[in-house]
Amino acid sequence: MKRLLAISAAAGLTLLTACTAGTENAAPKIEKSGATHEPVTIEFWHGFSADNELKAFEDTLAGFKQKYPWITVKPTKAVQDTQILSSVRGGSPPDVALSFTTDSVAQFCKAGIFQDLNPYLKASGIDAAALFPKVIAEYTQYDGKRCVLPMLADTYGLYYNKKLMKGEQPPKTLSELADLTKKLTVRNADGTIKVAGFVPTSQMYENAPIHSGVMVGAKWTNPDGTSAIGSDPQWKKLMTWQKDLTDWFGYDKLEKFRKGFGDEWSAENPFNQGKVAMAIDGEWRNAMLAADAPDVDYGTAPMPVADDQPQRYGAGFITGTIIGIPRGAKHPEAAWDLVRYLTTDTGALVGLANAIRNVPSTLPALQSPDLKKDANFQTFLDIFANPNSTTQPAHINAVFNQQTLQEAQIKWESGRAPDLDALLGQVDKTINDKLKLTAG
Amino acid sequence: MASTALGRRGRTAPPSPVGGRRRANLRALLYLSPWLVGFAVFFLYPLGSTVYFSFQRYNMFTLEPVGLLNYRYFLQDEAAWTAIRNTLWLVVVMVPLRVLFGLGVAQLITKIKAGAGVFRTIFYLPSLVPLVAGTLGFVFLLNPATGPLQTILSAVGLDSPDWFGDPAWSKWGLTMLAMWSVGDLMVIFMAALLDVPKQLYEAASIDGAGAWQQFVSITLPVIRPVLMFAAVTGVIQTLQYFTQAEVVARAASGATDSAGSVFTPGYPDQSTLTFPQWLFQQGFRDFAMGYACVLALVLFVVSMLFTAVLLRQFRGFAEEEA
Amino acid sequence: MTTTLARPRQAATRPAPRAPRGRTTLYWIAKHALAIALAVMFLGPLVFIALTALMSDQQALTSQLWPKTWNWGNFAEIFETAPLLTWIRNTLIYSILATVFMLVSSIPVAYALARFRFRGRKLAFLLVVTTMMLPPQVVAVPIYLIWARFHLTGTLWPLILPMLLGDAFSIFLLRQFLVTIPREYSDAARVDGCGEFRTLIRVIVPMARPAIAAVALFQFFYCWNDYYGPLMYAGTDLDNWTLSLGLAAFRSVHRVQWNLTMAATILAMAPVIVVFFFAQKVFIEGVKLTGVK
Repeated sequence: MKRLLAISAAAGLTLLTACTAGTENAAPKIEKSGATHEPVTIEFWHGFSADNELKAFEDTLAGFKQKYPWITVKPTKAVQDTQILSSVRGGSPPDVALSFTTDSVAQFCKAGIFQDLNPYLKASGIDAAALFPKVIAEYTQYDGKRCVLPMLADTYGLYYNKKLMKGEQPPKTLSELADLTKKLTVRNADGTIKVAGFVPTSQMYENAPIHSGVMVGAKWTNPDGTSAIGSDPQWKKLMTWQKDLTDWFGYDKLEKFRKGFGDEWSAENPFNQGKVAMAIDGEWRNAMLAADAPDVDYGTAPMPVADDQPQRYGAGFITGTIIGIPRGAKHPEAAWDLVRYLTTDTGALVGLANAIRNVPSTLPALQSPDLKKDANFQTFLDIFANPNSTTQPAHINAVFNQQTLQEAQIKWESGRAPDLDALLGQVDKTINDKLKLTAG
Repeated sequence: MASTALGRRGRTAPPSPVGGRRRANLRALLYLSPWLVGFAVFFLYPLGSTVYFSFQRYNMFTLEPVGLLNYRYFLQDEAAWTAIRNTLWLVVVMVPLRVLFGLGVAQLITKIKAGAGVFRTIFYLPSLVPLVAGTLGFVFLLNPATGPLQTILSAVGLDSPDWFGDPAWSKWGLTMLAMWSVGDLMVIFMAALLDVPKQLYEAASIDGAGAWQQFVSITLPVIRPVLMFAAVTGVIQTLQYFTQAEVVARAASGATDSAGSVFTPGYPDQSTLTFPQWLFQQGFRDFAMGYACVLALVLFVVSMLFTAVLLRQFRGFAEEEA
Repeated sequence: MTTTLARPRQAATRPAPRAPRGRTTLYWIAKHALAIALAVMFLGPLVFIALTALMSDQQALTSQLWPKTWNWGNFAEIFETAPLLTWIRNTLIYSILATVFMLVSSIPVAYALARFRFRGRKLAFLLVVTTMMLPPQVVAVPIYLIWARFHLTGTLWPLILPMLLGDAFSIFLLRQFLVTIPREYSDAARVDGCGEFRTLIRVIVPMARPAIAAVALFQFFYCWNDYYGPLMYAGTDLDNWTLSLGLAAFRSVHRVQWNLTMAATILAMAPVIVVFFFAQKVFIEGVKLTGVK
């Protein structure tokens, strides 16, 4: 109890005065190879938790140990952004941290939670522009700082069940998708849905606006960070299309159908089960179909695009796993060795990509002959390489902005908010107000 | 069962010996010290800092004085006002319904002769079910596609609403959940009802008063303080309403914790968003901690108001013994 | 609070007809029928949860009510799909430590508030009641920052350690009970030469056993059920989660189905219900203690 007392008293004194913990690290010293090394142990926090992913990741770390025998990596699994944030705040961050989402990149960079890696890249003689596909810069940099590097990427496309397609080709435009959906939908005798051609609502697993907006090339923000959602006509186009198709089903019927689905990540996923003919999903679905539903005969294609943008066909949404060195890391040099290995070593990236079926994130790894590909996986590699593919650019309120638009979308598709212009105007206001609150 | 322990009161203490007062104070201080420290560390100091942080922009990394910005944002934060309206709805609809239902069930049990003990156990049981477990159960029971309620209703030709998927029904779903776990109120009311002197009923019955008349003119006045107590504490609990709403939104929206799928509390259409949830979201998910402190102060003021009502109504609460 | 039939009832002029025998029987039947209907409503959810917990993965996604096959294996499966044993262990650590700490720190406080005469006694009790009523969210931000400063966020310690400093609700309940113990008992002990603290331990605590048991049970189950606290502090490492936290995330994180979710739900309920049947009286007396007289 005494200790607790002392702790509390100390808290009172330090809390209000010391609000930035940790120190900015000095310029990195990158040792020349051949120098002798002191053994060092670094802490590594990552988000992997599924067994197959953990196993694959351990193998990759074993490869690192072979190359850098003096560095011991102590991994901690299933870590998320909030934990990284509070550890840096508390002044005891790990040496290396990995995040599954790019949502916090702006925060990481702006508040200096992660160190700028540009000096490290320079010291190691790595030309990032030549190594990473261009789109990656958008989600690994903010404010001129490159505070994270990509370790594998995800892309989104259209999966279709060949049997349920009844010989039709995958749709290339939204009109085709709507027509095909109507054609392929099968209803039960009582009017409920048995098989849906495509579930258009934003609440369907991977239909969140962050993924579907790419179909029409819709913009999230203006260069100054304010919302572009109300002023970009593409959102309206997409949402009108979604609503029309939803109304064709009947929102209540569609919801009832959706609420009978099994879990997205389980074998009961409706695409695995043949309950939907077409679905938007990430490249990892290939691995899950192979594991959970090997009998499903499916194909993959890029997502359909707006009718008036045929030149954009082939584009998709790109995001990825990111990795960096938090401020206050105790062994930044060894940490950089690990980051460099995981983000630039072709062998490591290809091995991991093959194991968990993600898209490798460097140009050499993408071209590596060791990369396992089949037609269905190749689709996603092509989407990744497509110059029209986009990502969610780093934004200080990335999560909040997504939530706001998604809530508005649910209101709209359910018919509970009939005036789309007013609704999107409200979205703009909410996002802009929040921007003022958090960034001034 | 009829007389609770509180009914008996100890006698006044013998006066402290002269000169022992100072020592008595010190001794009390010693016994109270854990709580006093706790009060300072976990209440006074945090309350002070909450006020301080409410004038700052603070994301756990950079602290920047912003004057009244957080307060101005609160005035125009639609979600915060939606949350206030929802919390108010729960206070106005759920709390009274729960009190009335609890009273009805208690009344029924006291009137029953055969199997009263068994019924009491059955009625009390749901209130023990862990909140998260009970809430998940209800989301499943009321699921329009797979839930038993829908199956039962459609057997008699009715269509169940999409309880937790339709903003018009979601709060009613939460209310049903609250009524289901009414057991704690029932026990308190039962104790109060059994304390009503039997002779009053006998006298009334000789006077020819019907059951309803007896209830209104005898039962209600006697148990009024207990009802008030249940209502006020119910309001205070409802101001903290968090777990059920959070779990309902999470389970009913089908949100996954994967990248790209963001969980928004209050699903559907912020209809289950309560004030503490919004505070939690702002402070610990968005890390807008300065703004969260403004919300915390609002909650503080409102709950203090209700606490004041409670303390005024029940002076006996803080009463000296004897 | 004393109530009388203030005004003479006009009905008194009317002779009160004794209810005929048939009507009493009808009344008896109506009462019990109502009670049975309510019992079905109260038990129904539990029954359906149990039935669903025993269904196969596929059947749990249909609207059928009765399991086609009895999948007792679901209860084994949930231990494989989620670190349930770890969660149960964490929940037990949290609940037991918090309860023990609470008792150690709160009993003396309650005793002092109930028995000692000192300056500020009224104020102290008023503050106990006030903090008891205060929503935990009000001071959440600074308290979180304190624990973050000492690297204890991401663990359950921020929920356990404060219990060493007393819990307002428990202090309140204990005090309400302790004031009812006649002073003669403690006076007698003092005459026998017991110090104040020995009196508390030797005389008061044994006499207050029912109240202490009730308060301990409340605390234990509060922790067992707590969702907000662990959500705030346990972080994202599954190894630090509690049962409530794991249960709430069961559907999304662990690739499972309604049947398994319901099986886990039953698992979380079971200990509470078992303890209730053994300690029913303690519970009910405790709940009554929370009411006013």
